[in-house]
Amino acid sequence: MDAVLAGLGQGFAVALDPINLALVLAGCFFGTLIGALPGIGPINGVAILLPIAYSLGLPPESALILLAGIYYGAEYGGRISSILLNVPGDAGAVMSTLDGNPLAKRGEAGRALSLSAVASFIGGTLAVVLMTLFAPLLAAFAVTFSPADYVALMVFAFTSLASLVGKNPVKTLLAAVMGLMIASIGIDANTGVVRFTFGSHDLMAGIDFLVIVIGLFGMAELIHLVEAQATGKLKVLDIGKSFVSWADIIRVRWVVLRSSLIGFFIGVLPGTGASVASAVTYGTEKRLAGESGKDFGTGDIRGLAAPEAANNASAGGAMIPMLTLGIPGSGTTAILLGALLLFNITPGPVMFQQRPEIAWGLIASMYIGNIALLVINLPLVGLFARLLTIPQQYLTPMIAVLAFIGVYSVVGNPFDLYMIIGLGIFGWILRKLEFSLAPVILGVVLGSLFEDNLRRALSISGGDWGILVQSWNSIILYVLAVLVVIVPLWLGRRALKKVA
Amino acid sequence: MADRIFAALGLLAILVYGWIAFTALKAPFQYDPLGPESWPRILSVVAALCALYVLWKPDVGNFRLQTATGIKVAVMLVLLVAYAFLFERLGFIPATALFAGFASLLLGARLLPAALFGIGTGVIGYLVGAMLLELNLPAGLLGKLF
Repeated sequence: MDAVLAGLGQGFAVALDPINLALVLAGCFFGTLIGALPGIGPINGVAILLPIAYSLGLPPESALILLAGIYYGAEYGGRISSILLNVPGDAGAVMSTLDGNPLAKRGEAGRALSLSAVASFIGGTLAVVLMTLFAPLLAAFAVTFSPADYVALMVFAFTSLASLVGKNPVKTLLAAVMGLMIASIGIDANTGVVRFTFGSHDLMAGIDFLVIVIGLFGMAELIHLVEAQATGKLKVLDIGKSFVSWADIIRVRWVVLRSSLIGFFIGVLPGTGASVASAVTYGTEKRLAGESGKDFGTGDIRGLAAPEAANNASAGGAMIPMLTLGIPGSGTTAILLGALLLFNITPGPVMFQQRPEIAWGLIASMYIGNIALLVINLPLVGLFARLLTIPQQYLTPMIAVLAFIGVYSVVGNPFDLYMIIGLGIFGWILRKLEFSLAPVILGVVLGSLFEDNLRRALSISGGDWGILVQSWNSIILYVLAVLVVIVPLWLGRRALKKVA
Repeated sequence: MADRIFAALGLLAILVYGWIAFTALKAPFQYDPLGPESWPRILSVVAALCALYVLWKPDVGNFRLQTATGIKVAVMLVLLVAYAFLFERLGFIPATALFAGFASLLLGARLLPAALFGIGTGVIGYLVGAMLLELNLPAGLLGKLF
């Protein structure tokens, strides 16, 4: 406990540094801004702003603090377009439209927005507190992991991803393997052998992570927006004068606490993030509400508070495996992890010892970020809402301009501009065919880690594959991996039986 | 159908990847039990199995792209490639002005606002990006003038 407090103290010293404080605030502000833009979710927001943040030449802890602020802010901003436009920015915001939009239609948009801000704040803060308590413990435990254990952990991460994300597990797995394959392009660090470059010098060092992120997310989003634009004008609902009351907050207090806890734990699971968390808590609260649960979907404040608390809590939870194990808990944290790698920092158990200023500085900045978001969001929500009226025809080209600025300013190689267009088309096609993109990016980020650990494990054993199942850690992880596949199948079959 | 086409093309790419992994990749000398070829081999087998499964049991029926929208997407892609082509050659401001102008025109803006938007994005983008944030942006043609 003392170590936690000492760490936290050190973290706040980093986070309260005037520049870092300004970066948290700027990150939260721009994150909310980009999250509020219709159709652009947190992952696209972070992807588009990542290279710009990277090329500002900040020290790693400051850059990460900025990016985390953007991530948090975007999760916050997403609710604005969900509530006022009925257009969720990403899968995690879908549940917020169900009751949020009916409230706005009733003329209570102000109440809905402020209530969701409070719910998000509580969810986010609770998650950071839990993170402060658990992250160091998990990190201390994970220090004992051998390469073979890491292989098992990675297998578990990818199976839980395949089983819990997207409709079709095989497609999710294929997407993840495609990510791993992309990561294998370039020079093999162990032997110097060049792999899959087809003689191109531009590919020797592999495809730059930023290029992949911008292409798969930013550019694919742009093509998607061009395609979706034909669907006619959207009407922005008025915010009005209504505001959240104490009675509202007291009425949803247990809902918010329960949803925050559930959201947090779902966030910690590798691969599952805000979308699963908000869907699960919405369903849970609806069932717990019993008879009065039939109001859900018609503008019940409980139905808005639950997913909002959950998706911010899961955003915090997803940071834990990223920081302590080096295995991201969601697509967006995969991007943050990639950002750390760009700074030559490998997140993982030793980061808490070797680079405490980064680990703890980030955690402390999340406390500040949560407060900043609440303060920014309550009075300024009208300003953010006005962004929704920016016509698509100007918004869409801006994404391309930001993407080009970002990619060019980092690498300075015009070849990458063609790469992001190509990857954008690829990502767009994947999306149209209902592959999710998060597994691809997870694969890209984890590719070399996965391969290195496998090779290291087999060097230790001298080529005996049996080493992979020799420690209890890895056996437990394989059992969990099997469970995570079987349990949803079993639950699904049981639900089917009930219906029949 | 779309799923099948994608899976078939994907499988083709995976087979090329796998073929390279199984025949071409080899370290000149190595001490470790796993060389640079082992991991890609494993990946290609797993990926091929997944692609075969999608081929066998596709779940997205069609690609759902209307002709008009398809043309719009295609024109946007042409604009993007042109933007990439001109980015260094013309410099940030003119290339961005052209791209942003034509792209907003394509998406339904009228001529004058589109032109203003294009020029505004180019100039403001450069001022904020290159001057304020000190990012590396190509000055291009205009750079030679000053």
